[in-house]
Amino acid sequence: MSGVVVVAESRRGELREVSLELISAASAVAQEMGEPLSVAVIGSDCAKFSGALAADGVSEVLTVQAPGDGFEADLWAAAVEGLIDAESPSLVMLGHTIDSMGFAPAVAARRGLGFASDVVAVGWSDGLRVRRGAYGDKLIAELEFPGKTCSIVTVRPGIFPPATAGAGSAQARSVQVPMEGVARTAHVSYEEAASGGVDITKAEFLLSIGRGIEDKDNVPRFEELAAKLGATLSSSRPLVDAGWMPSARQVGQSGKTVKPRVYLALGISGAVQHLAGMRNADTIIAVNRDPEAPIFNVAHYGAVADLFEIADELDAFA
Amino acid sequence: MRIVVAVKQVAALDEEFELLVDGRSVDPDYLEWDLNEWDTFSLEAALQLRDALDGDGHEVVAVTIGEEEAQEGLLACLAKGADRAVRVWDESLRDSDVLAVARVLAAVIERESPDLVLCGVQSSDAVNGATGVALSGFLGLAHVAVVKHIELDGTTVTVQRELEGGLVEILTLPLPALLTIQTGINEPRYATLRAIKQAREKPLESLSLGELGLDHGAVAAAAGSRVVSIAHPERGEGAQMLEGAPAEVAARIVEIVRDRMTG
Amino acid sequence: MARDPKYDILFEPIQIGPKTLKNRFYQVPHCIGAGSEKPGMQAYHRGMKAEGGWGACCTEYCSIHPESDDTSRVSARIWDDGDVQNLAAMCDRLHEFGALAGIELWYGGPHAPCMESRATPRGPSQIASDFELNIFPRNMDQDDIDTVQQMYVDAAIRAREAGFDIVYVYGAHAYMPFQFLSPFYNRRSDKYGGSFENRARFWRESLIKVREAVGDDCAIASRFAVDHLLGPISIQVGEDGKRFVEHCDDVVDLWDFTVGDIAEWGQNAGPSRFFEENHEKPYTGQIKAGNHTNKPVVGVGRITNPDTMVAIIRSGQFDIIGAARPSISDPFLPQKIEEGRLDDIRECIGCNQCISRWEIGGPPMVCTQNATAGEEYRRGWHPEKFHPAANSEKSVLVIGAGPAGMECAMILGKREMSAVHLVEAHKQIGGCVNWISQLGHSDGKENIFRGTARGLGEWSRIVNYRQIQLDKLRNVEVHTNSRLSAEDVLGYGAEIVIVATGCHYATDGMNAATHAPIPGADTSLDWQLTPDEVVSGAKQIGKRVLVLENEAYFMGVSVAQKLAGEGHDVTLVTQAGDIAGYMHYTLEAPMLHRDLERLGVHIHTYTMLDSIEPGVCHAYDVWNPAETHDFEVDTVVLCTARISDDELYRELKADKERLASEGIEGLYIIGDASAPRMIVDSVFDGHRLAREIDSPTPEMPLPFIRERRLWGDSSNATYLGQLSSTADISLV
Repeated sequence: MSGVVVVAESRRGELREVSLELISAASAVAQEMGEPLSVAVIGSDCAKFSGALAADGVSEVLTVQAPGDGFEADLWAAAVEGLIDAESPSLVMLGHTIDSMGFAPAVAARRGLGFASDVVAVGWSDGLRVRRGAYGDKLIAELEFPGKTCSIVTVRPGIFPPATAGAGSAQARSVQVPMEGVARTAHVSYEEAASGGVDITKAEFLLSIGRGIEDKDNVPRFEELAAKLGATLSSSRPLVDAGWMPSARQVGQSGKTVKPRVYLALGISGAVQHLAGMRNADTIIAVNRDPEAPIFNVAHYGAVADLFEIADELDAFA
Repeated sequence: MRIVVAVKQVAALDEEFELLVDGRSVDPDYLEWDLNEWDTFSLEAALQLRDALDGDGHEVVAVTIGEEEAQEGLLACLAKGADRAVRVWDESLRDSDVLAVARVLAAVIERESPDLVLCGVQSSDAVNGATGVALSGFLGLAHVAVVKHIELDGTTVTVQRELEGGLVEILTLPLPALLTIQTGINEPRYATLRAIKQAREKPLESLSLGELGLDHGAVAAAAGSRVVSIAHPERGEGAQMLEGAPAEVAARIVEIVRDRMTG
Repeated sequence: MARDPKYDILFEPIQIGPKTLKNRFYQVPHCIGAGSEKPGMQAYHRGMKAEGGWGACCTEYCSIHPESDDTSRVSARIWDDGDVQNLAAMCDRLHEFGALAGIELWYGGPHAPCMESRATPRGPSQIASDFELNIFPRNMDQDDIDTVQQMYVDAAIRAREAGFDIVYVYGAHAYMPFQFLSPFYNRRSDKYGGSFENRARFWRESLIKVREAVGDDCAIASRFAVDHLLGPISIQVGEDGKRFVEHCDDVVDLWDFTVGDIAEWGQNAGPSRFFEENHEKPYTGQIKAGNHTNKPVVGVGRITNPDTMVAIIRSGQFDIIGAARPSISDPFLPQKIEEGRLDDIRECIGCNQCISRWEIGGPPMVCTQNATAGEEYRRGWHPEKFHPAANSEKSVLVIGAGPAGMECAMILGKREMSAVHLVEAHKQIGGCVNWISQLGHSDGKENIFRGTARGLGEWSRIVNYRQIQLDKLRNVEVHTNSRLSAEDVLGYGAEIVIVATGCHYATDGMNAATHAPIPGADTSLDWQLTPDEVVSGAKQIGKRVLVLENEAYFMGVSVAQKLAGEGHDVTLVTQAGDIAGYMHYTLEAPMLHRDLERLGVHIHTYTMLDSIEPGVCHAYDVWNPAETHDFEVDTVVLCTARISDDELYRELKADKERLASEGIEGLYIIGDASAPRMIVDSVFDGHRLAREIDSPTPEMPLPFIRERRLWGDSSNATYLGQLSSTADISLV
């Protein structure tokens, strides 16, 4: 087994940014391994992405035709298994995304491969080594893959810088994988999230509230504070799940990704899915009573304090 | 109809904790155990589906891999309305990775011949987000991950799959199937004291690997990774911590905000 | 768990005179209703704080002679050997835990009416007291001055004998030494009046004499109001205030600073409704900041936050953190900081209920957050220790998570009941606190004489603390958004059922004055509201609002404040002689009155409503009902009677056979559901039931110790009552 294969991702005709991040992560590992890097792209429209995926460090772009209009878990699993059969890679890298995680573990299980998800570092020193969070990112674990000739690894989006699209000269090659009768799910339609009139991705200053506000009845107080400070109010997922905030204001993997000048987080612990939505804000200020809250790992400024007392004091300034 | 729900008793770290001498795991004295939050939603989804079915003989079975602490989680499931529970444990499973766990779960679940298997999207301690889909690989089941709505019509399931950015995909698949369930899909019920007491009278099986027809070798072969070490994350520059009384902290925050927002 | 190093500074010892204070947590003198005549309550209340880590605890104001008698308010006394024996109990208990004992030697002058002793108080000038009863003092000549100063000396000697480590000459709150210092009281033309030095002479001489008598053995402290808040006619911190500190710095080992006087001492014991944490800083902080002293300084300001405490010491504002109310709310605050258990700190909410009982004159203290305050001795309750219930194998269902329900469930949890389910109909726990804590604002503007209505937000700490504790208890489950019917309760599976379902406001104007509804009163109409409807914003409120306040506490006036602050034209009507009578006891009244007056609220006292019609309320003069008046209004808010929501309880109680067959062995009702009451009393009610859930008849409170002398007892010894077997403290 040799070589690294990156599986790129697209959705509704657009290449997803994580694909380019994977390439830069993979090319570093491929160099350490002294092996070639290929990028695979799957779908009925996969050919149109080959140019962009021919980035620096990529030897080849592999296209796998799949029927239908978009992602289907079984088709993608068959495609990746077909790639593994055809190319015999040591390492297959995908984004830790909803599509990829919708099938990659099944492939690893069926084929007895090495497997690790949501990794933040990948390296090769006497074998594959990765790092991922433990206990919700409060600790970091280092993993190895003893006895595995091929491993599948999903990589956390937003960690690695994206490679420059099309900066290399790799050629595309099609890989045939039989897919008749493979798909067991049927796509019906897509639905956009309700926008509710506010677009938090356009805000320059977000005041974001989390579980720490404790009570639905406290939301108006933070609405007022946000207004006073000139900020737009946003929140983490649990408040939306509980119906305290509309989904249009949700920051996170299943909500919006935001990149404001200032992200002021009150009472948000920093679950990975939330961080995915805001970690690239210019300045992140976090207030949380838990000194171990993972959000302090990405924040630029932090305070271990009672958010209500801080809110009261901020109120006095506004 | 039989619905199997795979659940996990998860560990939360105490504010102060220590690692074991081998540096590969946290000292259990500093762990607090509870049913995984996602599993309360998947259990509730299973109970609602069962309750909506006509006729008798439908059952919800909760299964878990875990030692003593896991018993509490299963009793909680039984108290909330699951009909049966099964726990599997072997000392060799202590450090199992997600694929090894899924391999053992697959063996338990195969015995049940379920029509539907529900898992949580992820657990709050390991956060692999992979167990359910890996399980579907071992079981050979049609599957959808990250489901926020389920409709059952005979042997066809229609689900809403939650994508990044709040986009939703609607798709259908046939039973038998496996779904991983996202938080917020429903409002989990709680158990009355009577139900909690009566939970102890419901069937709760404890199985060994041998009784599942598995040996250590099979499980070890299925494992996908091994922990070399765990450590505190490097903070790097980390957050600059603001100290002082709330008034001072707030003043600093305002200063920072003003600075960043102008120019 | 360990102490966070950033709090180390709070645990550094500091020298005060010949004594070492082991840390910076200092319980300043405050009243509790015990004095010298309830020595058990005195010793065990103060002792509880020492056990909790406070480095020093003081008595309340301690009369040095029968001429200083504040009856019916309870002061301590050190008149004779009997008092020495009684107060020694407090000193012994404090010393057991390594705390210093302080005594605040007090001579009230005209502010102390001497209703028990029937003596005549003396004063620097014969001006009647500005505090309440306008008592006149006798003019003091040199002999009088010598006599009173000797009283301080004799009292100090007795204090040393009792075991006190810190002896105060108390001049804050406008008591004797301050009356000489301040030209507001002192119109003398001899060497004790006129110039600053003359006016300071009495105080300085008293300090010197006390120091000579006991200064080698005891630390000499003085409590000084650095600013009387009356402007140039009295002491101002920038003038005589700082000058006095410099003038007496050499004869004092410890300064204890406050502001204001006794007539409006709510400026010092500031309620959270009007004052924020560390509110005295602008005044008391000036002394060290201006380098006017070389001695250690302790000061107050309802300081509850450990980070604020650190900031106060680091910034040089004070050397020692003084607290009265925060120490009542949590006697174990220092220990919790030491152990890194900040989450467990029970923060004072600044409701001043503790103060109100002393103000009323007689009743023992209470505390909304800490139901054991005042009960340490007479009921044997410890705020942190709970012995397991004898019937702990039973499971409990508590219905309703308001103050009573939360407290009851929490204590039952701490008493290790096998399972406690707290079930709440609404989405969040907290009950009435959730909406009440939104009141107390007006228009955000400051009033004369300081004090901006900042709202009752700190009252939500009642919920915050209990939420955290309930979460931590493994044997307690809290379920919200679940309204239980009688059938649900019967089938729930609990052996003990406790109903805590609260109360609601009368919709028909039913009130305590006339014992009848008011014709035309009907809050189902969209222009008539109950107070909670004002907060919930469910109904539109018109320009002209009449608020009928028949409740004597904060509800009616808070509604008036809110609506006036929002621009409505508000008329406030009460049948009593004053609005919100109880708020005089909580010291909130003066600022409340200033706020309402500034907002232009029209206040009509001794006025009751005869009937209500659309657009008009017909009112009459209580003393002369023929004298009527019509108020033209758009909206009416009826703050009259509250009615228990006890239907569930009655339904359950009615079917005894069914209760038995379902295995329900005990059915109880607590809080407003039992009888509407103040929040402090609801918390107490829930607490008491939980403490006594394993007594033979839990619904009937167990007897408590009454410290009294029995007639015919020839030994004249103090009666030590029988503490119930449920006590969590051991009496020495």
